[in-house]
Amino acid sequence: MNQEPDRIKSLPASEKRRHSREWHRNLRLSVIAVIIAVVFLFPIYWMLQLSFKSDMETFGKVLTYFPHEFTIDPWMANLGDKDFIASLRNSFLNGLFTMILTMLFGIPAAYGMGRYKVRGYQAFLLIFLVAQMLPASLMLTPMYLTFSKMHLLGTYAAPPIAIAAGAVPFAVVTLRPYFKSVPVTLDEAARIDGCNALQAFFLVMIPAVKTGIITIVTISFLNGWNDLMYSMTFNVKPEMRPLTANIHKFQSKYGTKWNCIMAYGAILVLPVIFMFIFLQKYIVGGMTAGAVKE
Amino acid sequence: MTAKKRRSNGRRTREAYGFILPGVLYMLVVVGYPIVYNFILSFKDTSVRNLATGTSKFIGFQNYIELFHNPTFILVLKNTFVFTIGSLIFQFTIGYLLALFFYKKFTLSGPIRGLMLIPYMMPMAVTGLLGQNLFLNSGLINNLLSKVGIAGPAWLTSTSTAMIAVVIMNCWVGIPFNMLLLISGMSNISEDVYEASAIDGAGRMQQFWKITMPLMKDSILAVLMLGFIYTFRAFDLMFIMTAGGPLNSTDVLGTYSYMLSFTQYQFSKGSAVAIVLFLCLLLIGILYLLLLRKDDKEEEA
Repeated sequence: MNQEPDRIKSLPASEKRRHSREWHRNLRLSVIAVIIAVVFLFPIYWMLQLSFKSDMETFGKVLTYFPHEFTIDPWMANLGDKDFIASLRNSFLNGLFTMILTMLFGIPAAYGMGRYKVRGYQAFLLIFLVAQMLPASLMLTPMYLTFSKMHLLGTYAAPPIAIAAGAVPFAVVTLRPYFKSVPVTLDEAARIDGCNALQAFFLVMIPAVKTGIITIVTISFLNGWNDLMYSMTFNVKPEMRPLTANIHKFQSKYGTKWNCIMAYGAILVLPVIFMFIFLQKYIVGGMTAGAVKE
Repeated sequence: MTAKKRRSNGRRTREAYGFILPGVLYMLVVVGYPIVYNFILSFKDTSVRNLATGTSKFIGFQNYIELFHNPTFILVLKNTFVFTIGSLIFQFTIGYLLALFFYKKFTLSGPIRGLMLIPYMMPMAVTGLLGQNLFLNSGLINNLLSKVGIAGPAWLTSTSTAMIAVVIMNCWVGIPFNMLLLISGMSNISEDVYEASAIDGAGRMQQFWKITMPLMKDSILAVLMLGFIYTFRAFDLMFIMTAGGPLNSTDVLGTYSYMLSFTQYQFSKGSAVAIVLFLCLLLIGILYLLLLRKDDKEEEA
């Protein structure tokens, strides 16, 4: 949309008017968009501003809309607590292990489904499509009983295995169209140059669908990071649990110190915000690719 | 077919299965097996008492019969539908209006669209935590209401308002999801159709009802079905925000099933509730497919 100014100068008067109209329209729409975003995202701002308030202001009679005395004490109350740090580490591990499982099982399957037509293709596709939509409640009780028999309860492996049950099919459904859209000549050329199937997959296909891979890596990490149900059911000990599953524990510790509670929540939201700032152009496109095109 | 070609086909098939089967097997083990196990569990009397001894036995439809005679379960079932349909109506309407706006091309359209996805991507547990704070008696919502002269209710401690608060928080998450999918549906409609209709003298409203809506029908159906499925299985939001209370007024099938299995350790009862949840989703899925098929037939005729 960016027009170079000197080009505009050389245009006839009617064209100039059109450009000026364009520019005004753009400005008007952008201002409205900012207003919508400010209203819609106000709860996020609310959480952040509360997390920088002193105890006194938090308990004050008057509700203030921004911290009058700015303090990072609520953040330090969390970050200086070794139970909190342990939970933070567990959240990270949950995300990491879910991501690894998704890459291991999801990406190759997406490639296979996008590139080859084999017997059972329709059935496989149906399995992935349906699995992606199943409620976790349906798997929770049987998995708990099975994990209990296998002595997997109270291990770091149990929640990611269950979370990946949703993340793997999402990866297959989302990535399959990406692999399909890569020209067949690309991996054929690689094969003629002497690559075997695995080499062609790793050296040619994965780089060719980088955008989709970034989406899947990010979202599968967030699936693990965001999980509550599996993590609290399979890990009974608080020191094994991620941040999401320890919310009630910390809430009873902080009581009505909402500044500390909101700092706790803000730290949980931070990775999401960072990923959106740095990766949003990949993720926004990638998310719709799988959700609608099927 | 030459021998060489056949050999290469055989190799291709082996390669294909090599890539696909690990994923499929993973699904069969971590999804297929639990579902079958859940069905079996729901027809037994497995609880913490007979789990270790392995003396649980089949009791037929007993769990289901008891559930449907239990007023709490009926309330929970009703809550789940109220929560889902309430959320769908508002998140779809607002999501659609925002999609109409953000579909337009302007400088900030993309970045702001992305930012608005944060509520959708952040942990639902934190959304619940935030909801607790916003709907406090002296929280932001009641503070804003008092500015326009309305005395806000005790949202989360009253059985008549807790559900409204939970629905509002869920809509906040659902709106960007609806918006995003609807925008991508709108992008599939060619600009030419609008230009041609404008030349034929169609107004904005006419364009909306005669072009946008019919051409968007598939996207709208898909968004509503996905929205129903994702909302109906809710758990995290209620578990953190209200814990199903006060007095089960925000208890849904997800939280109720969890409570039966892991607070009361009546695993078979919890499984039966999960099966009811699953059957409701299955019905919606079938309804969706029927609606799609009806469309195809009409087009053929």
